[in-house]
Amino acid sequence: MPRRRDDYEDDVEDDDEFDGVDEEDDEADRYNDGGKVKRQRNASDFIDDDAEEDEEEEDDDDDEDYGGGGGGGRRRRGGGGGGKRHKGGASNFFDLEAQVDSDDEEEEEEGDDDFIDLGADIPDEDDRQIHRRPLLSREDEQEDVEEIERRIQERYARSLNVEYDEEATDVEQQALLPSVRDPKLWMVKCAIGREREVAVCLMQKCIDRGSELQIKSAVALDHLKNYIYIEADKEAHVKEAIKGMRNIFTGKIMLVPIKEMTDVLSVESKAIDISRDTWVRMKIGTYKGDLAKVVDVDNVRQRATVKVIPRIDLQALSNKLEGREVPKKKAFTPPARFMNIDEARELHIRVERRRDPATGDYFEKIEGMMFKDGFLYKNVSLKSLSTQNVQPTFDELEKFRQPGETGDGDMSGLSTLFANRKKGHFMKGDRVIVVKGDLRNLKGWVEKVEEDTVHIKPNEKGLPKTLAINDKELCKYFEPGNHVKVVSGATEGATGMVVSVEGHVVNLVSDTTKELIRVFADNVVESSEVTSGVTKIGDYELHDLVLLDDNSFGVIIRVESEAFQVLKGVPERPDVALVRLREIKYKVDKKIFAKDRFKNTLSAKDVVKILDGPCRGKQGPVEHIYKGVLFIYDRHHLEHAGFICVKSEFCMMVGGSRANGERNGNSLTSRFSHLRTPPRVPPSPMRTPRGGHGGHNNFGGRGGGRGHDALIGATVKIRLGHYKGCKGRVKDVKGSTVRIELESQMKVVAVDRSHISDNVNVTPSRETSRYGMGSETPMHPSRTPLHPYMTPMRDSGVTPYHDGMRTPMRDRAWNPYTPMSPSRDNWEDGNPGSWGTSPQYQPGSPPSRAYEAPTPGSGWTNNPSNNYNEAGTPRDSGSAYANAPSPYLPSTPGGQPPMTPSSAYLPGTPGGQPMTPGSGGLDMMSPVVGADNEGPWFLPDILVNVRRPGDDTTPGVIREVLPDGSSKIALGSSGSGDMVTALPNEIEVVPPRKMDKIKIMGGAHRGATGKLIGIDGTDGIVKVDDTLDVKILDMVTLAKLVQA
Amino acid sequence: MVNQGGGGPVAVAQIPTSFGHELRACLRCRLVKTYDQFRESGCENCPFFQMEDDHERVVDCTTPNFTGLISVMDPTRSWAARWLRIGKFAPGCYTLAVSEALNPDLQNICEEEHVPYVPPKRV
Repeated sequence: MPRRRDDYEDDVEDDDEFDGVDEEDDEADRYNDGGKVKRQRNASDFIDDDAEEDEEEEDDDDDEDYGGGGGGGRRRRGGGGGGKRHKGGASNFFDLEAQVDSDDEEEEEEGDDDFIDLGADIPDEDDRQIHRRPLLSREDEQEDVEEIERRIQERYARSLNVEYDEEATDVEQQALLPSVRDPKLWMVKCAIGREREVAVCLMQKCIDRGSELQIKSAVALDHLKNYIYIEADKEAHVKEAIKGMRNIFTGKIMLVPIKEMTDVLSVESKAIDISRDTWVRMKIGTYKGDLAKVVDVDNVRQRATVKVIPRIDLQALSNKLEGREVPKKKAFTPPARFMNIDEARELHIRVERRRDPATGDYFEKIEGMMFKDGFLYKNVSLKSLSTQNVQPTFDELEKFRQPGETGDGDMSGLSTLFANRKKGHFMKGDRVIVVKGDLRNLKGWVEKVEEDTVHIKPNEKGLPKTLAINDKELCKYFEPGNHVKVVSGATEGATGMVVSVEGHVVNLVSDTTKELIRVFADNVVESSEVTSGVTKIGDYELHDLVLLDDNSFGVIIRVESEAFQVLKGVPERPDVALVRLREIKYKVDKKIFAKDRFKNTLSAKDVVKILDGPCRGKQGPVEHIYKGVLFIYDRHHLEHAGFICVKSEFCMMVGGSRANGERNGNSLTSRFSHLRTPPRVPPSPMRTPRGGHGGHNNFGGRGGGRGHDALIGATVKIRLGHYKGCKGRVKDVKGSTVRIELESQMKVVAVDRSHISDNVNVTPSRETSRYGMGSETPMHPSRTPLHPYMTPMRDSGVTPYHDGMRTPMRDRAWNPYTPMSPSRDNWEDGNPGSWGTSPQYQPGSPPSRAYEAPTPGSGWTNNPSNNYNEAGTPRDSGSAYANAPSPYLPSTPGGQPPMTPSSAYLPGTPGGQPMTPGSGGLDMMSPVVGADNEGPWFLPDILVNVRRPGDDTTPGVIREVLPDGSSKIALGSSGSGDMVTALPNEIEVVPPRKMDKIKIMGGAHRGATGKLIGIDGTDGIVKVDDTLDVKILDMVTLAKLVQA
Repeated sequence: MVNQGGGGPVAVAQIPTSFGHELRACLRCRLVKTYDQFRESGCENCPFFQMEDDHERVVDCTTPNFTGLISVMDPTRSWAARWLRIGKFAPGCYTLAVSEALNPDLQNICEEEHVPYVPPKRV
């Protein structure tokens, strides 16, 4: 078929021309010229051609209309098409189309072509086609005029595209957006893992079957398993195409909405940037998830050499080498540690020393594994490395630093840092430091951020106003004392205070866990927010005792993003395991007892001293008991979040009698009696030096102070108002308002003092028990089981005398378990008020730091007085209170030296933790208590009354809340006066009035501003500025906002 | 349509004979074939790379790192092919995106040949 051969050549030429290809030989010019001419003609001839085409198609249709004529018509048309091409050779575009068109219908002629491709199949194919012909025709018939029109338009559109195709711009891509006239995409289910295969098979099928299959394309996406897309005009075409395909499930064919079509095809080309020194993660095998550093890349073989910290069980290896049978432990992954060649030699493992011919480096070779400097050098497939979002944590990098190498692990960190940086990293107002180039170490603020350039306002004088600096040369900068939030990485979400900065590494103390967190400055933003970070996954919280799948147990000492660190209950040595949620069977919260060495019964919260073992000498309260193993919390124990796991026999209850003494409130009280110094008058506790008896006396003093109002703690009935008829306990009295914890509603309400009737319920049972304890346990009475008002949520496992052991920090530790406990709300809420109304706390003496942090006070403000009131002890003054316990003093055995409050009982005193002022007494033990409940009470820009010793109350505006809990206050109701620093107990928040601008000091909206649009009893109706939401919030959490 | 051009250069490109790791994609036209296919018959759309003559070229011009696969049966009418700008290449199997760019030398060849080359868009 010479004619057809010509056609091909034409086609070739045309097509090449489309692509702008010049033939290399002499002919090229000719073709090229021809092409140009043709192209010029293209535009003008276009319509004519189309018209012709139109005719043709109509012709075709006619033929088909006449039924059997289809075949003939087709053939004729095919010929005609060919002829036209000859005549035309003219229009590139048309040729192509014509070719395709004729392709469509010329299967039969194809049989005549002597193409090897088809081979022996031809006769078969022919047969089938003959049978199928009528069907096809019918299908063709369905193509109505619109269809034809569509084609023409499509062609037209395409021809335009052709003209511009060479400068592919985004705008033009827009022009390619699918229209209703384009073929549609259909989603078809296929066997998993066979997506590509299916697409290729469809291709092959189309080749084999010729135009019979009218699908246009088939798409297999790497990220979409189980499905492929097929592009076709009609669902019927798709059905036809997938008929009989092995791996395609013909069940359901889903149409992809036209708007989503581009999404299907828009895959981001995975930029695989594996090059030397890149940090990657292993995807599979023993090292799965491990950080690795690329040492060498072989792009041709698609392999890389990476170095990882080996996970090799030398013992097992040696056993294997010596042919000993090793009982295979299932799924045991040896811990990552550096290879110690000497150790290997000791185990008689053969170590060869080899020189790598390529690099000249020496390697130790063990069993085919290459080691250098303790690292394992591993040759892996590039595919087994994950390069996306590697984000090495600081710990990992630290570990990765070569053993012995102290030097500049910094720079590698830096490169990692930049590699993982996201767009929009810097924001206006960020404090930054230049880390590279001439301006290194220049500090400044971000003024403007462009693509890669950051305009900064330098800190130094004599420099231009703004400097444009590449973002790669910048790093965020923080100073100790900044309060920050971690925005990415493993500790994401945690907040804390920067305690030191080393290069671009920031050390901060988490608000929640009090742990030191090392993060890159880049991953941190300055924020006044105080969040708890993650302290809970599923039902398990930090410091819970949990039973694991393998029936081992332990205490959760850290909550990571997807797993817990659990200190296992193995007394011999500290064993920390990383445990996933599903590996935890359940939480153990039964009340379990154990016996100490002297057969004293220990229960949770007892303070014990460790007599034996590695942690000998340490002491602290028992947090959990399980199977004779104690988990003791010693806040001076820096490892494992302060937890020590020890056998109960190795411990001695502090204060417990060696002769199995009686344990009752009195004896317990007596244990502390040595701490009890002669009565303190109110001023003295504040000046009590750190350590010594300060803590207890403080409590005593303050507790007594709180007790000045006889009403506090009393059970009253509300006579009038909204809560008429409700009973509750008085939590706080402030002026004529009484805050009452309702028995029935688990909430605290404020009612007018005249609206309550006096004590309706006195509970003598409590009095006695409480009395003994009172001085020791100001903070906890409401949680003891004896307490009639106990809500079930509170831990009933606590016996009163345990409270005696409590320190303020323990108090917090309770809260996590009773997050809803109203009493806590109350102490929080009531706190500022109580400070304000108990002036005898600071009768003239400059209060000591012990009072500065608001929280310790808040821990017990309400409660201690209760005891006293109800116990009938003198409650009018602090001094009386302080005296109260003294009768018990003589009865105490004198010496429990380790019990000095300074070491064990004052963890919560603010002085002890200067770094964590926000949470004051909060300690390691109380992570769950988040910003909602804790944190600095005061916020900047709120109107307060400052009560300076000896002075009258002066209004002022808080300008800054200092880390130690005190606040910088600008005096004057608009904050225009002098700046003074006041302690929290000198500050009283001025309650806002209706229509005042307010700032929310507590709860989830802490820090938000808004407008008080109404007051309903104790609730304020607030329109929050940011969200414009209307919230009902406790008035106590609202403060009047005064903007600077 | 397709088998008609079996022997001609415009006609259907070779179809990959396997679906595994041997697959490579032409960095210019994104045609997907096995390494051996490229080595033996080069790339149908980019004959000027002359991969069949110089086996080293195969490695330079093709990549195993590509994302997605599309079998284009009817490039001229397929919207997908047009969208992906492979509408004027031979029918065959293509990838949606390659993750590497042609090296500068080869880009120069494209320029000399007056064929457009669009480097992959990086994320």
